[in-house]
Amino acid sequence: MRTAAVKRLSVYGLVVLAAVTLFYSCSAPLTDGEVDKKKTVALIVRMKHGDYWRTVKLGAEMAAKEYERNLNFYAPDYEEDASRQMELVQQAIADGSETIVVAPSDDRVLREAIKLTRERAIPILVLDTVGKDSAVKSYIGTDNYDMGMKAFEKMVYLIEKKGQIALLGTDRVKTNAKRREQGVLDLLPRETQIELIANENVPLDKKQIGEWTRELIRKHPQVKGVIALDASTAIGVAEEMENCGLRDKVKIVAIDSPPEVLEYLQEGIISATIIQKPLSMGYLGVKYAVEASNGEAVPSLVDTGTKVIDRENMFWSENQKLLFPFVK
Amino acid sequence: MKRLLSVIKVKGIQFIITTSFTLVTVLVMLFVGVMLYGKFAQTAEQNAYLHTQQILEQVKYNLDSYLNGMTQIFELVDDKIRRSKGLTADKLSEQLETIVETRKDIVSIAVFTRDGTLLATTPSKILRSNTRLTEQSWFQKAIEDPTNLSFSLPHIQNLFKGEYTWVVSMSREILLHGPDGEIPAVLLVDVNFKEIDELCQRVGLGKKGYVYIIDLVGNIVYHPQQQLIYAGLKNENRSLPLKHSYGSYVEETQDETRLITIKTIDQLGWKIIGVSYMDEIVTTKKEISRFIFWLLIFVIVIVLFVLHYLSAKISRPIKLLERSMERVEQGDFSESEPIRGSHEVEQLSLRFHLMVAKVRELMHQIIREQEAKRKSELEVLQAQINPHFLYNTLNSVVRMVGNGKNEDVITTITSLSKLFRISLSRGKNIITVREELEHVRHYLIIQKMRYKQKFEYEIVVEDEDEDEVLNCLTLKLLLQPIVENAIYHGIEHLADPGRIRILAAIIDGKVLLQVSDNGLGMSPDVLAQVKAGFYKSEEGTGVGIQNVQERIRLTFGEQYGLEIESEQEEGTVVRVWIPRQVAEERDRL
Repeated sequence: MRTAAVKRLSVYGLVVLAAVTLFYSCSAPLTDGEVDKKKTVALIVRMKHGDYWRTVKLGAEMAAKEYERNLNFYAPDYEEDASRQMELVQQAIADGSETIVVAPSDDRVLREAIKLTRERAIPILVLDTVGKDSAVKSYIGTDNYDMGMKAFEKMVYLIEKKGQIALLGTDRVKTNAKRREQGVLDLLPRETQIELIANENVPLDKKQIGEWTRELIRKHPQVKGVIALDASTAIGVAEEMENCGLRDKVKIVAIDSPPEVLEYLQEGIISATIIQKPLSMGYLGVKYAVEASNGEAVPSLVDTGTKVIDRENMFWSENQKLLFPFVK
Repeated sequence: MKRLLSVIKVKGIQFIITTSFTLVTVLVMLFVGVMLYGKFAQTAEQNAYLHTQQILEQVKYNLDSYLNGMTQIFELVDDKIRRSKGLTADKLSEQLETIVETRKDIVSIAVFTRDGTLLATTPSKILRSNTRLTEQSWFQKAIEDPTNLSFSLPHIQNLFKGEYTWVVSMSREILLHGPDGEIPAVLLVDVNFKEIDELCQRVGLGKKGYVYIIDLVGNIVYHPQQQLIYAGLKNENRSLPLKHSYGSYVEETQDETRLITIKTIDQLGWKIIGVSYMDEIVTTKKEISRFIFWLLIFVIVIVLFVLHYLSAKISRPIKLLERSMERVEQGDFSESEPIRGSHEVEQLSLRFHLMVAKVRELMHQIIREQEAKRKSELEVLQAQINPHFLYNTLNSVVRMVGNGKNEDVITTITSLSKLFRISLSRGKNIITVREELEHVRHYLIIQKMRYKQKFEYEIVVEDEDEDEVLNCLTLKLLLQPIVENAIYHGIEHLADPGRIRILAAIIDGKVLLQVSDNGLGMSPDVLAQVKAGFYKSEEGTGVGIQNVQERIRLTFGEQYGLEIESEQEEGTVVRVWIPRQVAEERDRL
């Protein structure tokens, strides 16, 4: 009788103990550990350095904060290092990212990323590149064709609708530059008084760009404008023009806004530049990544927009933040 | 379901205790939980308000002191320039360079004429072209309001070659000593915006909340999402902060509720606006409610177990008691172990055991009584066929035959036969008063014959309706022993003629059968002995008064029985009291 009572009591004690443990194990995680449980968005871009990609990252960070996600940023040290970027994509997947936002250096990277994300059934979004793969939830970037058109229109305005112009791209960023070039070429027939005297791709080398510019001036002394389809080319051309003392004679229209371009823009050597909105790109990239991972529908193609900047409007307050995103 | 209910025993004391206590506990816990939740939620909300206020106060204080420091530096520069002979003096530029060097956040100090010509700059840098400096707000403000120091919005400094830097420009008109007296000029001190930017960036209000600053007319001085706002991806409603200088407001948009807290830097009129998200406060509320929910579950579980234990402890003895009662119900009256439990249950158990013992006792008694009854009935029966009586009677008959009194013989034999018939009365114990009287009458007839008319008798029914009395039931052979006593002890030795009177009546709802005689009577001693049941007469049937008394009590109860009154030389009255029961009820007895 006595031992039975003791037995019963100890059973009750055990049950109470179990309940207490249960209670604490239920209530304890309410406070801790939630920070670590945040899901992670991986952002893989083309290069670690440069204002453009830093701005993309800044925008992505804003969205990550707003949507309460961790942001893992991956980038190779040098632009167009596709094989390194491919490794980074694998790394991002291995890190257990909830979503991948990638600005692929080339098609191989994109194919690899699509393959890997499909295996894990995680959404993939692509930045700064246009494509049509149905596995990609959303393409977010600039309408490069539109950029080309805007550059041409600005040039037409600058040279007052007549004269010789040259179109200069590099062999670096193939698809985007091609789209920009197409934008220019498609509008060209409209302006009958404008003659395209050159349409060339030059390698990324200041010296070669300079040589090419000198050759152009020698062959076509009447040239009134140069449309450079990327920032480095524009900087090379602008430098050579300044050296040749042609700063007021030849108008240069550039793309993007690294500090040198802005310097030349204020100095008046470059007349205008067509800028993209990398901050919006980064922000929308992460925003739609989060929405896609929540199963919401996201637009398959997002144009983040472009803006024509010239000496007049470059210091307007709404443009200052676009051109100088970082407080230094 | 029914089976389940039967297992639980919905009406069981354990179930009732457990459910009712659980119900009460849950209700109390719910009440306490709701109260606590309300209080905690309120406190959390208040804390959030307070927290935001304090943080903004801190930001305001830091900004204030930073701007004050900058103002002092501006005044210092102004002072240095005023005291020196000219802008080009080596000493002045040295001093200014020292200031710029010691304060890393000063980007540049520059003096311009009123038409925008650069007079001096520290550190010395080349002026860019296309600066449009006369159109810039800091320059215009200095010209418009020469006495007050003006602070510009953060902007890109585009005056000097080198990096483009985000600065806040401090500017005011100063007077320079020139060869032709004092000439007005504009002093510009550009302060790196980084300090303010970092100061604001560091401020966090919850996970999502932030702080932004606007100027008097609503231009953004600092906003963590300024670029998104310019890009049109975000929108900040600045109308409310513009209207108010300080305070807290709740702003509701379609998908979120935000707490807006405003403070103003008096010096500049800039407004610091804290934005915290209510859903984060609500998160705290949710956490509290979740905590209370789990607490509730936990307490209920604990209470259930404790109650289960307690109710089992309370109900177990009762169940045991019930079981022992069941055993009794099934006829097992054997002694069982007393039940241990609460005081009440122990008492109940004790009483029950006592009761069972009593019942057991009574049962034994009944058995004993039944045995006694049988014995006394047997005695009566034996008395009937008492050979002595029969011998005497038959002797008398023989004598009568000898005397030729045939009629008497017939009477005697007839009475004897009737007497025996009634005595036997087919084995029944209960007969009607009528039969009993009939019986005693035949007995008296026989005795009268024997005693040669030594006594007279009469049998009287004293009631308006004789049948009522005569139909009542009585035990067989009650009167005969009494009459026998009356004859043997009262009348036999009497010199005078004896008289026996038998009366039947209903008095006070009882049936009274009374035998009175005018015999010798009894002395008080003898009477007492008779009443006590000690007195045994040597004569007669041997079935005494005691037997009659015993049989009445065994059959009808203690309140019935005999009453004897007797006085010497006067006679004896014996009253027999029995319950009034009518013949129809005979079968029930």
